[in-house]
Amino acid sequence: MTRKYELVYVVSPEASDDQVTDLHTQVEAIVQRIGGSIEKTENWGRRRLAYEIGRHKEGTYVLEVLHGTGELMKEIDRRLKVTDLIIRHLVVRVDEAEAVVERTKARRSATSQRRRVARGLPADRQPGEGQRGDPDDDRDDRFDMGNERGMDR
Amino acid sequence: MNGRKSFGAKKGGRAGAGAQGKDGQRRPMFRRRKVCKFCSDKIDDINYKDTKLLLPFVPERAKILPRRISGTCALHQRKLRVALMRARQLALIPYTAE
Repeated sequence: MTRKYELVYVVSPEASDDQVTDLHTQVEAIVQRIGGSIEKTENWGRRRLAYEIGRHKEGTYVLEVLHGTGELMKEIDRRLKVTDLIIRHLVVRVDEAEAVVERTKARRSATSQRRRVARGLPADRQPGEGQRGDPDDDRDDRFDMGNERGMDR
Repeated sequence: MNGRKSFGAKKGGRAGAGAQGKDGQRRPMFRRRKVCKFCSDKIDDINYKDTKLLLPFVPERAKILPRRISGTCALHQRKLRVALMRARQLALIPYTAE
């Protein structure tokens, strides 16, 4: 039974770029040995930690999206735990949550299409329709909230 | 969150409460009805990696903002809580702050 997992690990700031890539190859090796595949790898680069872990204030974040079995993740988890360079890691199973998101999205668009047809409108939203303007505008708005949090309480 | 609308409504509400004082009757102050940010913005996936989305729900003390204040619906508050706790584990969001 293969499942989709997300793995995020935080590498100590003292590690060089080579060591970070080395860790990635180590993960890759385990994946290949036990059976599975890596969908994508993202390096978020060095970020400030929200709190100190040990004596570290920064860390390099790496995200890997994997397909594999629970056994594989167990082994990866065990290996990451004993690796000193990795100061924190998290494994999350994502396939079920993603399926739920897809279902809700599909249901919502189906409902809106049905209602629009019932009102005698074309099934899909036409450009420039409705009071709400550019959807990108809203996203920008949300990004602003990060700086002045507490404003929308 | 629809920032423009909410600010306007709040201010208007306060002014309205002051105007009602003249007929001598104490009426409860008008409060804008809170709506769930995730429902209104149609955000299905509350992801622990999306710090920008999560940060408004952790006030200065870094505790999770309760539903009664944020207005988040029960379903989304549950999802939000899980996301926040994951983000905390990865030190994307603090557990506490002075």
